[in-house]
Amino acid sequence: MGKKLKSNIRNFCIIAHIDHGKSTLADRLIEMTGQVSEREMQDQLLDSMDLERERGITIKLTPVRMFYKASDGVEYTFNLIDTPGHVDFSYEVSRSLAACEGAILVVDATQGVQAQTLANVYLAVDNDLEILPVINKIDLASADPDGVKAEIEDVIGIDCSLAPLISAKVGLNVGEVLEKIVELLPPPEDLDDKPLQALIFDSYYDNFKGVICFVRLKAGTVKAGDRIKTFRSDKQFEVTEVGVFSPQPTPKSELTSGEVGYIAASIKSVQDTAVGDTITLVSNPAENPLPGYKKALPVVFSGIYPLDGSKFNDLKDALMKLQLNDAALTFEAENSMALGFGFRCGFLGLLHMEIIQQRIEREFDIEIITTAPSVSYKVHLTDGSVAEVENPSRLPDISTIDYMEEPIILANIYSPPEYLGPIMELCQEKRGVFIDMTYLEEKRVRLQYKLPLNEIIFDFFDGLKSRTRGYASFDYEITGYEKSDLVKLDMYLNGEVCDALAIIVHREKAYARGRAIAEKLKEVIPRQMFEIPIQAAVGGKIIARETVKALRKDVLAKCYGGDITRKKKLLEAQKEGKKRMRKLGTVEIPSEAFMSILKIDSE
Amino acid sequence: MAGIYIHVPFCASKCSYCDFASFPKETGKAEAYFACLYREMRSRFAALKDKTFDTVYFGGGTPSFVDAKYVLGAMRLIKECAKLTENAEITLEVNPGTLDKGKLKIYREAGINRFSLGLQSADDKTLKRIGRIHDAKDYLNACAMLKGFNLSADVMIGLYDQTTEDVKNSIDLALSGGVKHISLYALKAEPGTPIYTDYLNGELLSDDEVADLYDYAVGYLKQKGLDRYEVSNFAVKGFESKHNLNYWMRGEYIGFGVAASSFIDGRRFTNVFSIDEYVHLLLNNKYPEASGEVIEGEDAKFEFVMLALRTTFGVDLDKYRSAFGSEFTSDFADAIKSTEKYLDISKERVKIKDEYLYVQNEILMYYLK
Repeated sequence: MGKKLKSNIRNFCIIAHIDHGKSTLADRLIEMTGQVSEREMQDQLLDSMDLERERGITIKLTPVRMFYKASDGVEYTFNLIDTPGHVDFSYEVSRSLAACEGAILVVDATQGVQAQTLANVYLAVDNDLEILPVINKIDLASADPDGVKAEIEDVIGIDCSLAPLISAKVGLNVGEVLEKIVELLPPPEDLDDKPLQALIFDSYYDNFKGVICFVRLKAGTVKAGDRIKTFRSDKQFEVTEVGVFSPQPTPKSELTSGEVGYIAASIKSVQDTAVGDTITLVSNPAENPLPGYKKALPVVFSGIYPLDGSKFNDLKDALMKLQLNDAALTFEAENSMALGFGFRCGFLGLLHMEIIQQRIEREFDIEIITTAPSVSYKVHLTDGSVAEVENPSRLPDISTIDYMEEPIILANIYSPPEYLGPIMELCQEKRGVFIDMTYLEEKRVRLQYKLPLNEIIFDFFDGLKSRTRGYASFDYEITGYEKSDLVKLDMYLNGEVCDALAIIVHREKAYARGRAIAEKLKEVIPRQMFEIPIQAAVGGKIIARETVKALRKDVLAKCYGGDITRKKKLLEAQKEGKKRMRKLGTVEIPSEAFMSILKIDSE
Repeated sequence: MAGIYIHVPFCASKCSYCDFASFPKETGKAEAYFACLYREMRSRFAALKDKTFDTVYFGGGTPSFVDAKYVLGAMRLIKECAKLTENAEITLEVNPGTLDKGKLKIYREAGINRFSLGLQSADDKTLKRIGRIHDAKDYLNACAMLKGFNLSADVMIGLYDQTTEDVKNSIDLALSGGVKHISLYALKAEPGTPIYTDYLNGELLSDDEVADLYDYAVGYLKQKGLDRYEVSNFAVKGFESKHNLNYWMRGEYIGFGVAASSFIDGRRFTNVFSIDEYVHLLLNNKYPEASGEVIEGEDAKFEFVMLALRTTFGVDLDKYRSAFGSEFTSDFADAIKSTEKYLDISKERVKIKDEYLYVQNEILMYYLK
């Protein structure tokens, strides 16, 4: 006992599966606490990136401050820190959880607990957060609030007797959520008189103010004029502005313990204020930093190349800017014979990869070619050293390799029982090892499989979706590395090896995969003036061959009435199409070929 | 060399593959159309006093479908307003189902000396299927009527389940009519035409199958004494179409009527597509141009090459030099180097090897900057 509390502050986040209504609930809460005028209110306020709104997903976390006058007559300050819902972004989730005392768990009354919900709830529980369950979408005819409550109690083990039953969409019972936040979620501790400890949970770069750090003050206070430093860097900065998000950044004279806000201090480099680091005062430093969190490590890698080779520096700028507020993105320059100069980029997962690719194309207007994703392999060499290989074409010479290890995941697959057969078959094909099967309820089963990550990045999602008509969901965590019999599969076009098409694959799969890729390439490579053999090879031995036949007819038949302009325009259009091609020797390869080798029917 | 093209946008009914300016339902507008066509001709010729023309070509549509007096009128006007060489090649496109003795008499009077007959196929079922209004017998009757004239026939390849046997029959029939020139066009299904549906349904031949028929036809025509002189054109020596050759040699031509294109004094322009718009513009004393551009510099050079490479004569190095004052082999040195295995290069000319003439777009890509 004896803890002083900031009893009128509540810091919380919302955990939900995609589509279960997290952003809609957040919008309602903001609307009901009057933080945003109706005019400013647009759907899904927190999802500020175009891409987020479009896809209906949250990628970045955004904090918002709200004021709520509760039925006890006291005005409370709520800090809502939004969390991304997708498995790729669980790293960001852990960051926002560390800044909160409580979490609202939103569950769709028609769908129940989904895989991703579970993963994030466990994260929250691990972070000692109090969980407030909320059953959403009860206005829908198929809603089964009692069933879902029972499921939450069963599966997650939290009491649902007080869970508000709401419809965020129509605004039903949302007020009850506000009351329950006050009632059930704990306030932060009052540690104003202790030395400053401010956890950086995100940051972005502002052209005028420098790096803006999103912080949660655990202890102490901070105001403009204070000299600050972080634990991981020696540099000192003078605070130029502190403030809160309501939801736009709004300056404030001081931030005190328990509060969520931002600190600007003319910091030029994001590296000086790493996310997860703790800010303290120079004059009265805290003894220890707050526990940071596990740094997100990229697990999926792919090459990104500018379509127009002269845009290499633009692409580099774009990646650097994206990295500013996406610490999980990594990149380093690489050079491919087929694609020229580009970058090997690391991502948290396939969705993360796809989003970065789209942001480069849309926000920076650079057309890119991406290679098939790879994972990071540990290659044990005969001299005893270990190389990490993320780019298949960089695999050391086979004679120098002792053995190789590949990353392994533990996958949780949730599905109605009628699809168990097809799912098991799929996991089997993907070299999965069965771990466990649990009936969560009569109509929902959780299957656990150990699977190699390199099988997951190769059309596992699509396979799962098509075999279960979209009913199954899945998440995974990386559990470690295991020794595996892997080989490099090379693709030869017209007798020349194409480095950008190389993949690393399990020996037993090499033949089928090589044949499938050769067939796919035959489809996507247009016919040219000469016959093009496509060969797949392992260790120099050809294992599959296809042929793109030579072009026989492409001439324009007739120029009616001498309309030469039209003919020339057609040729110009054809020439424009060629710009999307890469040349390997004399062979032209369309840019989509490099990714298309992933989209192979596993049938 | 300079040519005159006159477009007749009328026909009895539209063939299923046709996407040209031809309007069977607007035949009633012929009187107004030709009045305006004459107006356009007078006005253009007044500004082209210094040009001498070597060819006249009536294309369509079906020029033989409308009253022959319109053709006669146009020819009288040309003779009155323009310089036409003594032995000019004057061609009229004819649909075999539309010719009669009365019309022929007037064509003779007009000075038409070459007829291009749209045969397309010797197979009556196929003709019906693609919407032709004539049959094989009509073709022979028309040829009989036209005996003594310089004749050409159009034959199509790529029609439905056409075989080399069908192509042979069509060529045989065409030649039996006494033609010394054959245009062998591969069907191209254009979006918006009825045949496009068949194309989408995969009922037409594939490019490879068309290429097989084409290769066969090239060989068979050669055997019959007709050499290929351009991608789609074959003739007994001396019977090449001067009017078409002028296009490939980047010669000048003036086109009259809807959708007609012209190339005069370095400028290319094309007339409006619709008859109403055409008539309206001319009645308001405006030229009926829809678009136009001056072609110069690199563009002009590329055009020259693009057109010349369609022919079996290829790029004439002397002609190129006198047209541009520079050397083809240095202007396009890189392109020539990249494509040399597809070319026949001599001191006088550079041409595409026979076996690659049908895939020349790929080659041209290197020449397009």
